[in-house]
Amino acid sequence: MSTWEKLAALPREIVLTIVLIAMIVPAIRPFRLPIMVGKMSKDWYNTVDSLPDSPLRHRIQLRGLSNPRPMRRRNPPQMFEKHLKIIIMATQLEGSMMYPLIMEKVKPEKNYGAEYGKDYVFLGYIAGAQTAMAAVLGDIHTAVKEDYYGTPIDQIPLLKEVKGPESYDLVAYLTTDGGIAEGWVYQAYSRYKLTVVGGFLSMMTPSLKPYYDAGALKGILDGIKGAADMEYMTHHPGDALRATDILSATQTIVLIFIAIGNISYWGARLSKKEGES
Amino acid sequence: MVSTDVGVWIAAFFTIVATSYAFRDNIFFRFAEYTFIGAAAGHAIVMGVKNIILYGWTHIAGGEPSYWIPIILGILIYTRYHPQYCWIYRYPIAFLVGIGVGISIRGAIHADFIKQIAATAKPLIATTPLGTLNNIIIFVGTITALTHFIFTYEGIHRGAAGWIPRIGRWMMLAAFGGAFGNTIMTKFSMYQGRIIFLLRDWLGIIH
Repeated sequence: MSTWEKLAALPREIVLTIVLIAMIVPAIRPFRLPIMVGKMSKDWYNTVDSLPDSPLRHRIQLRGLSNPRPMRRRNPPQMFEKHLKIIIMATQLEGSMMYPLIMEKVKPEKNYGAEYGKDYVFLGYIAGAQTAMAAVLGDIHTAVKEDYYGTPIDQIPLLKEVKGPESYDLVAYLTTDGGIAEGWVYQAYSRYKLTVVGGFLSMMTPSLKPYYDAGALKGILDGIKGAADMEYMTHHPGDALRATDILSATQTIVLIFIAIGNISYWGARLSKKEGES
Repeated sequence: MVSTDVGVWIAAFFTIVATSYAFRDNIFFRFAEYTFIGAAAGHAIVMGVKNIILYGWTHIAGGEPSYWIPIILGILIYTRYHPQYCWIYRYPIAFLVGIGVGISIRGAIHADFIKQIAATAKPLIATTPLGTLNNIIIFVGTITALTHFIFTYEGIHRGAAGWIPRIGRWMMLAAFGGAFGNTIMTKFSMYQGRIIFLLRDWLGIIH
């Protein structure tokens, strides 16, 4: 086996260990690399920021796994700081599990003086994906009978103000599911002509960015990068900003390995040709 | 300071054993995998039952008998497991597909076709040089990628105009590369969350 071939056949244990080290080092000692806030995140921030305070309603949809957690922790504060009225619902099972974890960090009552039922409400998980979105946007009083804690929605002051889709100023969703991300565009934007902003995994961005380019999504939070942008813009540094250093380090390592892989491949091919001639 | 919370220790254990699969398959990883599947299935069943009670039974108990219809349709799905009556399950499935298509197709046509065509058919010259370059790339990319999928006329792929679908193919390859790069970034960002959890919440090394 030539040196080139040995290089190409680097054991994956070594590669993974190097990647792990590249993750751990910047987590312990952050490089504090500069942040360049993306236009899509800026548009999200400005869309929320441009909403007038208090009497307006705002909806945020929750769904997902561990990755967008920093994104979720970052967005409610911007909305609570502006004293927006927030109706939260989950269109996937995990959403109802994520809600207490997020609110434990955000602490709306303590940090922003918000009151459950008057300033924000959580409807829990509503099955049906697009069917649920259409039903809740169209007539929340028919679609939902009680909130996550079992309180009849007729007794929730915030929901008494909601008459129909015209009551909403913004639909903001965070998801790790492509179907849900498209669903909110179909239902909230196309059907009810509402302003929509979306946050999702980076791997979903290439397929969903056309909605942003076409004006259907007014802003996008692109995975951990979008979350870091939000932390930067809201002046609340947290996990996402720390994560950008880790991502920069690991992706540099990946780029180096891609270069090594290509160089060794072409090197092995050239040396094989030379051997034949 | 290392955490004294049992929950954090359990989460750390599962994080580490789940990672161990990247090095080699092992019994601890399989234990973590089965535990996750079991917990997820249990949670899904509980939420399913809760949904039936909340959005079905509560209405029926409140004097709305029409809610029996979706409940009966839901039960009929299980006829699939009966060899003699399995054909019945097609009716609730047809109902579900019909409702799903009916609800989404209007939005899909507007957002996926009309808006996308309108967004593509815009002037090549934008207010900024970068915007102009973007518009040219979108225009060339859309036209050439579409020609790549013309299969009814072979001449477009082999004739003098063969470079057009070839450019389209390169455009698509560039898009796939970008999508793959985003996928890698997503996977790393998922795992870095666990690294921060291990170092901060479990070991207390970082704050």
